[in-house]
Amino acid sequence: MTDSTRPAVLHVLRCIGVAELPRVADAAGLATSQAESDLIDLAVSGLVTRTAGEFGGWGLTEAGRAEDARATAGEVAAAGARRAIATAYEKFLVLNPELLDLCSAWHVRAANGTMVPNDHSDSGYDARVRDRFVDLDRRAGAVCAELSAALPRFRRYRARLTAALDRARSGRLEYLTDSVDSYHTVWFQLHEDLLATLGIPRQ
Amino acid sequence: MRYLHPLEGETGGSADLLGAKACGLLTLRRLGLPVPPGFVVDTRACRAFLRDGHLPDRFDAELATAVRHLEAATGRRFGGRELPLAVSVRSGAAVSMPGMMNTVLNLGLTTDATAGLAAETGDPAFAREARQRFLAGFAAAAGGAADDDAMSHLRATVRAVMSSWNTPRAVTYRELHGIPHDLGTAVVVQTMVFGNRDRRSGSGVAFSRDPNTGERGPYGDVLFGRQGEDVVSGESATEPLTELTHRAPAVWDDLGAALRRIEQHYSDAGHVEFTFEAGHLWLLQVRPGGLTGRAAIRVAVDLADERVIDRRTAVRRVTQRHLRHAGTPRLRAGEGVQVLARGRGAGPGVATGRIAVTAERAARMASDGPVILVRPTTSPLDMHGLAAAAGILTSRGGPTSHAAVVARAMNKPAVVGAATLTIDALARSVRIGARTLTEGTVISLDGGSGEIVLGDPGTVTATTDEHVDRLLSWADEISGDHSPRPAPQRLDDAHAHL
Repeated sequence: MTDSTRPAVLHVLRCIGVAELPRVADAAGLATSQAESDLIDLAVSGLVTRTAGEFGGWGLTEAGRAEDARATAGEVAAAGARRAIATAYEKFLVLNPELLDLCSAWHVRAANGTMVPNDHSDSGYDARVRDRFVDLDRRAGAVCAELSAALPRFRRYRARLTAALDRARSGRLEYLTDSVDSYHTVWFQLHEDLLATLGIPRQ
Repeated sequence: MRYLHPLEGETGGSADLLGAKACGLLTLRRLGLPVPPGFVVDTRACRAFLRDGHLPDRFDAELATAVRHLEAATGRRFGGRELPLAVSVRSGAAVSMPGMMNTVLNLGLTTDATAGLAAETGDPAFAREARQRFLAGFAAAAGGAADDDAMSHLRATVRAVMSSWNTPRAVTYRELHGIPHDLGTAVVVQTMVFGNRDRRSGSGVAFSRDPNTGERGPYGDVLFGRQGEDVVSGESATEPLTELTHRAPAVWDDLGAALRRIEQHYSDAGHVEFTFEAGHLWLLQVRPGGLTGRAAIRVAVDLADERVIDRRTAVRRVTQRHLRHAGTPRLRAGEGVQVLARGRGAGPGVATGRIAVTAERAARMASDGPVILVRPTTSPLDMHGLAAAAGILTSRGGPTSHAAVVARAMNKPAVVGAATLTIDALARSVRIGARTLTEGTVISLDGGSGEIVLGDPGTVTATTDEHVDRLLSWADEISGDHSPRPAPQRLDDAHAHL
């Protein structure tokens, strides 16, 4: 059997939720034509489905979710990667509250003991938040490297996080927390992937 | 003693030296209010520790002396089998950094002391639970117990709390809030009071006035049979403070009197963290202010009416930010409005819509009108539902959870951590206490105050707020300008004359 990209596409949907083709392809690191072909095959097998409408897109079916859980457990066992991923996940959990602090600081500021929306009129403050994102990203790099060493598919997160941060640094500030490919969105998906890969229910 | 100071009324010192928490506790002591005995390790010790990598030579001897004094004051033995003394160890910098540094509770509960506590209280389960909490807290802060010696645990914990000043998360917090990195933290060590002691025990937060409306209190949340950390974490379903009136009336009376005394002292609204053990009230922290803009304006006006402050002071206290906040729409309150629950406001604004309990249902129902997505917590799998919803409500998580970040990113009103809610995705319903709301029921939420109400009561804004009107009329008296102008201008003109 050839190295199919179908399990990777299935797992991407498990981690990013309902999404249109370009986002699925980007998250999987595949050409859109390849991702589309895989999605159609998966749909024929009853593992994914496409819903129409403004908030629709490709998503897992219950069978797809079960198949992904089975395949992911097999993948982790075959690679003997469980312990390494669990160790990296613990390090991720140290960084996670700090990342959430940063995202919150981008949205709201403390003033006289209460929170007010950050209206982005204070460029010094915004620069401090951005600098801390960069600093956190440097430390996240070590966690991403450990995960990639354990299971190569985690490499895609490093690339996507870097892409989001680079865009934010070039002035497209919605790539910190607000866009569908923002740093927070990718981080949130990495968090979901770690839970799915280790078989931990979300708290 | 050089680095340690007893928490007694005569102890003096600035917040720079003792930290804001200890200064508040000393104020409470001077007001004659109940504070568990203890001592504070000052910031000089922390700065020396961070600079040199170790504490000054005489430090551990001072620590031992302070513990002996605490034993004498309480008639208890630290780590002892008879009448054991347990303490809490908390950080407390000059500027508040909530949740950034380590806390260890129930320290001193060695194997012997736990047996002693079980014998003293006749409640082995309580003693075991208290020791478990110590072991978990100590493991998280200092890496776990290598021995069973209370003094050695205390020495390690004081160092761990000081070290936590420099965790990356704390460094980030200071960078964002412009707090200097060289301040260091004080460490507050206090005799434990057990909110989980029995049914006449508990913990809570109490405000002298409602922090959202400014209405005269007491107002707040209480958790019966639990320690204070459970209230602050937001993971447990708290009850309204008024529950105390029938379940612990003496505590309610004492708390009300304490809050009045605190208001008198600060000439301002204030709030406390408290614990009550076997019906006896203890105060663990105090802070003045802490009100939203609208509430701050009402409190300034009310305090002037009560002649606690004069009208000039009332006008001086109100800022442009308060005025702006007062202008944001909020849920109408009062007659006929049924408050279902309260969580923490995580994305400002008011939203009304039909309940949807899964992202899929929200995405589908949204084509027929606004929906409120109600989830225990959110994952990326809920993103399309979040995008479809007019507002977001979760039963778990705090204001910096993924759900809160996503809600703000999408500009959606959100309330998180409404812990009295149980979501049943299969039955397509939400339970709140004895009430069951089926999917499709219309609810409204206020992402500022955290209120969740039945139906659509509508909103009000500052243009209909009598307190804002009165404050601005006082502002005009000060500036001498009674011409019609925008509210911010009227406030600015008055401030220029003060």
